[in-house]
Amino acid sequence: MSYRIPMGPYHPALEEPYKLEMFCEGETVCDARLHIGFNFRGIEHLAESRNYIQVIALMERVCGICSNIHTLTLCQAMEQLTGLEPPPRALYIRVIMAELERLHSHILWAGIASKLMGFKTMFMSCFALREKIMDVLQAISGNRVNYAMNRIGGTNRDISDPDDILAAVNKLESEITGTVIPIFTTSATARLRCAGIGVLTHERAIACGVVGPTARASGVTQDIRQAAPYAAYPELDFHVTVESAGDVRARLFVRALEIVQSCRLLRQALTKIPSGPYNTGDAKIAFAAGTAISRAEAPRGEIVYSVSWKENSRTPARVHVRTPTYANMPAVRWMVQGARLADTPLIQASIDPCYSCTDR
Amino acid sequence: MTPLETITADLSITTPWSSHGGVHWLAVDASQIRRVAETMNRLAARFVTITATELPASEGFLLEYLWDLDGVLFGFPIHLAGTSLESIFDICPAVDWIEREIHEGFAIDFSGRDYEPLLLRAGDKTGVNLREVPA
Repeated sequence: MSYRIPMGPYHPALEEPYKLEMFCEGETVCDARLHIGFNFRGIEHLAESRNYIQVIALMERVCGICSNIHTLTLCQAMEQLTGLEPPPRALYIRVIMAELERLHSHILWAGIASKLMGFKTMFMSCFALREKIMDVLQAISGNRVNYAMNRIGGTNRDISDPDDILAAVNKLESEITGTVIPIFTTSATARLRCAGIGVLTHERAIACGVVGPTARASGVTQDIRQAAPYAAYPELDFHVTVESAGDVRARLFVRALEIVQSCRLLRQALTKIPSGPYNTGDAKIAFAAGTAISRAEAPRGEIVYSVSWKENSRTPARVHVRTPTYANMPAVRWMVQGARLADTPLIQASIDPCYSCTDR
Repeated sequence: MTPLETITADLSITTPWSSHGGVHWLAVDASQIRRVAETMNRLAARFVTITATELPASEGFLLEYLWDLDGVLFGFPIHLAGTSLESIFDICPAVDWIEREIHEGFAIDFSGRDYEPLLLRAGDKTGVNLREVPA
C-alpha cells in the first residue's frame, strides 16, 4: 500500500521546524521531499542595514550552537577588506574557542542521537558533559551561547589562565573518552540502531556537495582546517577522521573521533599560545570596496561567508552565508530512500541538522 | 595543465584570472555558466554556493558562483542584465536549494528546471529583496 507521511514541521522527532514529506510502500520509504523556511528570518537582508560592529552581533545569532564560528568567519572576511591582521595570540584564542564549540556541538549531537536511539541514560550523560564544556566556554567568555569573542583584528577577550582551561580540558577528555566514546563505538544498542541505515554513497556525497562529518563519513577527505587552514591551525597537528561506510554509524564514528582530535588541538593550542596582544586595539578601521570570501570548518562542516563592501560605507553591501546544514540537508532525501520508516528520525538527525542556520 | 589553464582553455576565454583573498576569479558571460559547471564537474570540483547581489541603479544582478577544488576556491562572477539565466541543476545537483533561494529572493529565473513550492514563503510572490520598502 502506498501512502504519504509528512514528518513536521512540528514533530516530536524534530528539534526544530522543517518538513520531511515521505512517500512510502508499506514500512519502506521510497522517496522524500524536504521543506524548509518555517523560521526564515531574513538575516542576510538585515545585515545590509547594520554597521561593521552591529553586523558581528547579528551574525552571531544565526545559530545558537555554532555562534562563535559565524563571527570568526565573518571577521576573517572583514579583516581581508580592512587589511587588519589579528595578532598571533588572537589566532590561538580563536582556535581554542572553535574547538571548545566543536566539542560542545558534537556532545550535544551525541545526546540527541542517543535519545532517538532510545538510549536515554546516554542522553543524560552527554548533556551533563555538555554542561561542563559550556562552563569552560563561560569561564573564557562570560557567556554560554553567544560568546561575543571575535572582532575585526582579533578577539574581544583574552584567555588569562590557559593552564586552568587546560586542566579542565584534560578532565573533560578523560570523561568523554572513558564513557561516551567507548559506549557509542562498542555498544550493541548503538551498533544495531545505526549500522547500515541512512547510507549516503561516496558518489552521491560528492554530487550533493555535502560537507563536514557527513561528507567525511562517506569517504570525502576534506576538512577546511587542513585543506584551507586559517587562524592558528597551520601551526597545530591533528588527524582528519574519515570513514567509508556512509551510514549513520560512520557519521557517529567520525564525530566521536573528532572529539578526540579536538581535545588534542586544544591541548596544543593552550600549551603553545604565544604572549602578546589579542587584538589590534584602536586601529582605524577602513574598508576597501570589494568582495571577500572566508570559510572555516564549523562543527557541522564548511561554513562560507561572502562579504561585499562599498567605498566609504559603514554597512556591508551584501553578506551571504552558506551554512553547512544548507549543503547537507538536501542529501537526507537520498539517505532515507529504502529506509524503514521507524529509522527516519535517526537518519535525519545523523547529519546534525541545524534549522536555525538553514533558515538564517 | 593547471586547473586555471584547463578552465580557460575549456571556456575559450582569454581574459586573465584575478586572485585575491584566496579565491581565483574569472568573469564569465551568463551564456557560459553551463560550460563552467561541466568543466568544474570534470575536474571533480565541489560546488560551494552562489552569491546573488542586486546592483544599484537598475544595473541588474551580480551572481558569483563558487567551486572548491582541493581546498582552493574558484569564483565565476556573472553580470546579469536581465532576470533569467540557464540553470545548472541537471549538471550539478548541489545547486538545487541555492538556485531556488535566489529565485525566491531576487525573482531571477533559472531556466530549464522545475521549482518545487517556495522554500521560504509558501504561497507568497517571488522577489522579496526586490520589493521597495516604503520610507
